[in-house]
Order: sequence, then C-alpha cells, then structure tokens
Amino acid sequence: MITVSVVIPVKDGERYLQELLDALATEGVDETLVIDSGSRDRSLEIARAAGVELIEIAPEDFGHGRTRNLGAEHTSGDLICFLTQDATPCPGWLDAFREAFTLADHIGAAYGPHLPRADTSPMIERELTEFFAGFEADPPRPGTQAVARAAVQHSGDPHFMSNVNACYARSCWEEIRFREVAYSEDQAFGADMLAAGWSKVYHPGAAVLHAHDYGAVEFMRRYFDEYRGLRVSSGHVEPFAPISASREVAAAVAADRRWLAQRDIGGAELAQWTARSAVHHGGRRVFSALGSRSERLPAPLRRRISLEGRDGVEATVISTPTDPAQAVPALPAGKHIAKMLPHDDYEPITRIWREGSAPLLDPVPGMSEREHLRLALVIPPFSRGSGGHNTLFQIFSRLERRGHACSVWLADYHNQMRELWPGVIYHDINEFFAPIKAPVYKGFDEWQGADVAIATGWQTVHPTLALNDCRARAYLVNDHEPEFFSTSTERVIARDTYSHDLHCIAASPWLRDLLIERYGASADAFQLGVDQAVYQPLPVERRTDTVVYYARHTTTRRAVPIGLMALTELHRRMPEVRIVLFGAENPLHAAFPYEHLGVLSPAQLPALYAQATVGLCLSLTNFSLMPKEMLACGLPCVELAGVSAESIFGEHGPLELAPLDPVRIADALERLLTDRVLWEHRSREGVEFVASHTWEHATDEVEAGLRHALREREVTAGVR
Amino acid sequence: MSAADTSTEQQLQAELERLRARMQALELELVEVQTHANSVVAEWQDRVYWLERWHLDLNALMRRPGAAEFRTAVRAVRAVVRAAKKTKRRLQGQ
Repeated sequence: MITVSVVIPVKDGERYLQELLDALATEGVDETLVIDSGSRDRSLEIARAAGVELIEIAPEDFGHGRTRNLGAEHTSGDLICFLTQDATPCPGWLDAFREAFTLADHIGAAYGPHLPRADTSPMIERELTEFFAGFEADPPRPGTQAVARAAVQHSGDPHFMSNVNACYARSCWEEIRFREVAYSEDQAFGADMLAAGWSKVYHPGAAVLHAHDYGAVEFMRRYFDEYRGLRVSSGHVEPFAPISASREVAAAVAADRRWLAQRDIGGAELAQWTARSAVHHGGRRVFSALGSRSERLPAPLRRRISLEGRDGVEATVISTPTDPAQAVPALPAGKHIAKMLPHDDYEPITRIWREGSAPLLDPVPGMSEREHLRLALVIPPFSRGSGGHNTLFQIFSRLERRGHACSVWLADYHNQMRELWPGVIYHDINEFFAPIKAPVYKGFDEWQGADVAIATGWQTVHPTLALNDCRARAYLVNDHEPEFFSTSTERVIARDTYSHDLHCIAASPWLRDLLIERYGASADAFQLGVDQAVYQPLPVERRTDTVVYYARHTTTRRAVPIGLMALTELHRRMPEVRIVLFGAENPLHAAFPYEHLGVLSPAQLPALYAQATVGLCLSLTNFSLMPKEMLACGLPCVELAGVSAESIFGEHGPLELAPLDPVRIADALERLLTDRVLWEHRSREGVEFVASHTWEHATDEVEAGLRHALREREVTAGVR
Repeated sequence: MSAADTSTEQQLQAELERLRARMQALELELVEVQTHANSVVAEWQDRVYWLERWHLDLNALMRRPGAAEFRTAVRAVRAVVRAAKKTKRRLQGQ
C-alpha cells in the first residue's frame, strides 16, 4: 500500500488548523507533520493535542521552498502532500490523490482544486471555479465524473502547481526538490519537473476548501508579493498596459456581474459588489505589475507594500557559495515556452533522416514499356510567373494528353499556401501555367500510389521519399538549387536531395553532368521547350538602338549587379543606346538612364523582343528559358560563357557569349549593336536553332527519363 | 533432361506467361480506373472553384443552427412567388 505523509507549514493558523487536522484524520493519512515558524496563537497547542508530529523553527528560518524540503526530509511516506494551514481537505481528497498517480506512467506530482468557503467573495469564488475548470481534461477520459475530468499534463503543458493543496511522489521530489526561492516555489517545481520529463495530474476530486479572502488593500499587497515571487521563479513580468488592462478589468467586472446574476443577486447588493469587483480587479492589475518590478522601488516602500513586510530583492537562489573564489554567476530563471507548432518546420526531412525512404513496390516486368503510367507530380508552393512551375506544367500537361494517369500533390510544409483550397490551386495552375486535367491534392492524406512519384524541387524530395506504393521515384531537376543559398540549412538540405535513390531528369546536359559527377546520381537530361506559337518573329519594325535586359534582381543567380555594371559601361561608350529593363516590379537604382517596364506577361514579351536590338539575360547556374524565347523572336542575346549555355548551344552557337566580366559583356553588347552582319547571322541562327526546341520534344525526353527510372528498377531486381 | 522434366518446365513457363498477362491486364485496368477517378475529382475541383476561393463549405454552412429553417423559408417563398406568377399568366390568358 502506498503511504502518504502530509506536511503543513503553520504560523498563527489557529482559525482553520483544528478543522484541517480533523479532516486529515478522517481521510486516514499515514503521517502528519506540522512545521511551526513562530506562532503566537493556539496553533502549537492544537497540533500537540491532535497528536501530530511537530517541528518548530525560528521565523527567520522559514522559506517556502526550504521549509517544505525540510518537511519532506522529516517524513517517510511514498507520497508527500503539502497543505497550507487554511486548506481543509474535502471528503475523498486522499483517494483522489492516490488515484492521480495511477493515471499514467512517471507521474511526479498532482494537485487539486481550491473550493471557495461559504464566506468567500463572489470575485474570488468565480475566479477559483473558472481557473481550476480550465485544467480539466478535454475531452473527458472514461471513468467516474472526477476521473473523467482529471488531466495528465506533460512537458509543454502549463507548469502550474499550488502547494496550498499538492501531492508529490517522493522519488520526484528527491530528484527535483523545491528551489529556495522566497515565493512561488511550487510553480518553479512544476516547471522543473516537466522539463525533467516528469508528468503531473490535475485531479478535481482532490479538493480543499480554501480562500484567501483578504480585504481590498490586503488583497493588493498579497498580489504584490505573489508577483515578486513569480518574477523570481519564472521570470514573468506583468505588463503595464493601461488600455488593455482597463479592458481586461472591465471584462472581469462584467463576468462577476453575470456570476452574481446567475445567483439571483441584484439591486443594491449587485451595485455594491460591482464596485468591490472594480477595485479588486483594478488593484490587482496595478499591484501585480508593481510586484513584477519591485526591484525598482525603494526598499522602505517595498516593505510597506509587502504583506509579509519583505523589503529585500530576491535572487533566484538564496543560498550562495561561502568561498568567494567559487562564486558562480547566477543564471536568470529560464522562461518556459510552450509548444507553438504542431510539428517542426522540417519534419518531413527529419523523418527521412531518421527512418529512411519508404520502401518501393516490387518492380513488374515490362512496366517501363507500358503505354500508360500512373504519374504523381509533387510540387512546391508557387505564385504567378514561376518559371520552374511553368516548365513542369508545360511538360506534365503534355504527358497527361498522352494518356498517362496524372495527379498533382502540393508539398507545402511551411504552409505558404494554407489559405488556398485544392480547387483554387487547380484553377491557378490552369490559369498561370498550362491546362491540366489532373486533380490537385494538398498534402498526402489521400495518397493513392503511383508508378512514378516525381519530385520537382528541393522542398519536395523528402516528402516524395516518404510516399508508399510507388514503383519508382524520379526527380525533375530544374536547376542546381544548393547554389540558390548561401551557407545555410536550405543549402544543406538542397544538397542532400541529390544523395537519395531518385533518378534525376535534369533541365540541361550541363546540369545532368553536374549531378552525375558531383553527386554520383543517375541522371538524364531534357531541353527546355519554347512555345513557338507565342515566341516567333513578329511583323514589327525592329529598332537598332535598344538593349533589353532581364533585370530580376530578387533572383540573385541572375547576377543583376554585374548586368548593371555592364550596361553602365555600355552607356559610357554609347550614350545614345536606349536601355530597357524588365522583370522586376520596382525600378532599380542605376548609373545610367533607362526605361522600366516592370513584370511583363508572356503575351507582352514577344512584342518587346520583336522591337529590341539586343537582349541581355545572365544566369550564374542552369540556363533558363528566356534567352531561348528571345532567340525564337529573332532577337540576338548575350549570355554568360563558361556556365551552362555551351552545353545547349555549343561554343559557336547562336548566342553571343561573354565571360563574367562587365567590360567583356559590354563588348559583346556593343558588337551586336554595331556589327550588322554579325547581328543578322545571330538572329537567323537563333531562330533556326530554337525551332527544334519544342515542349513536345521536352516531353519526349522527360517521358524517356521516367521510363528509365522504372527500367533501372527492373534491372536492379533482375526482372528485365 | 527427361521428357517429364521438359513438360513440367513448359507448364511452369506457360503459367508464368499467363500470370504476367493477367498482371498486365490488371495494371492496365488500374490505370484506367485511376484516370477516370482523376478526371472526376478534377472536374469537381473545377466546379467548386468559387466556393473554395471564398472558403465556403456548404455542408458546414447547412449544419449551422437555423440554416435548414432558412432554406425551408426560402422554398416556401419561392413556391408562393411561382404560384403567383402562374396565376398571373393564367389570368393574362398565356
């Protein structure tokens, strides 16, 4: 049988002490210890007459934490209950506490509600009732009414404990012990035990009659002391916010009035209580805020306000090392921060790193040759104008038209598109990118399996790896995304995406080779297509003095500062040249005059390319679609040499290539502006070259890559 | 290898071919079913676009207190209006 000891610190507690000790005798506790700290009333006499154990200490030796530790040390019960001298246990109190420790494993403490005594003011009565109701289990657990409302609290839950009426497992107390703080040792214990992995229980059946129904002034002084203690134990500072405090006080007074009305109190009595309520709540706000900042008050004033007459400024730990050489700087009390997120931001990544990828289905002979496949495209969040998503859906819409069973899955673990429901995302994809008939799902709750699950960006790889019921996984790689980030978590994760068993289908031979050489990935390549119906030479008179520059400075890989330096150099040499910047919402600060067009729609771009003389578009990583679209419109274009362009166009292709050097880029621009023969040659060559770069061809290459992913599985499993 | 062994081998091969063909048929059927299911879901996503844009869940709306009564009242008003229009048309000899 679990034994129970009860410890009651007492000072001048004769008013309720007899009643309390009688209740304990009725409940049948195994051991009762009274610790008296200098009572001058009949407390000692009552304790002796009741036959309980008694320890007397000097008043100056009393400390809320220290004295309770002393009590625990002098008792032997498996459970140690602490009551204050004015808390009388209600029938069933002890059984409830015993039951609390059986509700879960590793319960370190339990506490119960404080019920109002008959003479308690309505303000206190309402607050006590509502306060403790807030700890009840929701939803109720099975069992009797009291058990149904009992709540087990773990790390992240409120650390509230109250030594007015609390019970501790001796093993937990031995591990944690009460801090030697001047006040709120129970709250500190609650925080410490939860942090140490213990749990606690609120049990409505373990109730005591208790109320601190002080007069208005005493009540405020009491709160001053309470919040001094709370500051020390938890670091909490009650805000001084007159407007919001006034609102809260008004709300509390209104709540008191409703409480009184429910008890049929009206007329003059209601008015009188309303005034008391306003003083009660208003005074408490002021004095709790003052208590939080007591160290700023002069010591005599602190002593005057304190109900206990304390004027010192408490540190977290009262006991200090005696040897100054060993003095350790006191740490501030850690502030408990409750759980704020349902899961970690990078939870899908953690899951893969912890558990590995989900197993793939066994390969079926001939699956890579089957005419129609089940394809699931896993996409990251998007917005209008996303180039990567345009590429994806240009290809995916064509795969769909070829008869593959297609579906789209949004992996949005940062909740960037949480406001958008699937029907809206479906509509936006159709409006922004390409017509699709595939359904769109947010998250993977309705996952149905696929022949190939296709990741499409660094954020989608780990969620794709976690998908079950797939025959193969592929990765449509639009760019070498680690280069998008400086040294950071994103960069590490983006690099990690190439180290898993996904067959990569890269958006250029340069990118394919990089994935194979640097990461040892299995990879194919496809060439970005151009919508030839939109991007073509138009019957518009072409100017001979205009450079158009894709100056999307928000995309850092576009090397916009270098482009601007090159244009500054060009302007110095050829001030008559008209410079047009597009691709960014807001005008950039430049050292040359220019025309700002903002962000243009796909329909407007061909008109711009048709009238311009030279295009400038830089990419520090994989080659983008834009230079191809310029070429398709007969507009010669300057791009960076030595990155990825040569892998598509060759070293002597239709592009005018320049190294990453503003002067050399300006040279290239100047050549195309001044050498008409060269311009004609580049323009004609560009149109001819891009003619074969269609989305249909890109779709062929991607489809071949997807079948390659399936074929690799067949080969690996030996069923081919 | 004896004739019996050869016969067993052939039988196993035939069984394997039969199972592969059956599996292929089932895979094809799965693709067809998935294609059909996808098109139905996509069609509904297209239809509910404005409801989803405005975050309107009609089922949740109709579960609210008074919603059913409101709908009944609208139907009653609509019945009266229709009856009045019908009577008007009759009186006008249409």
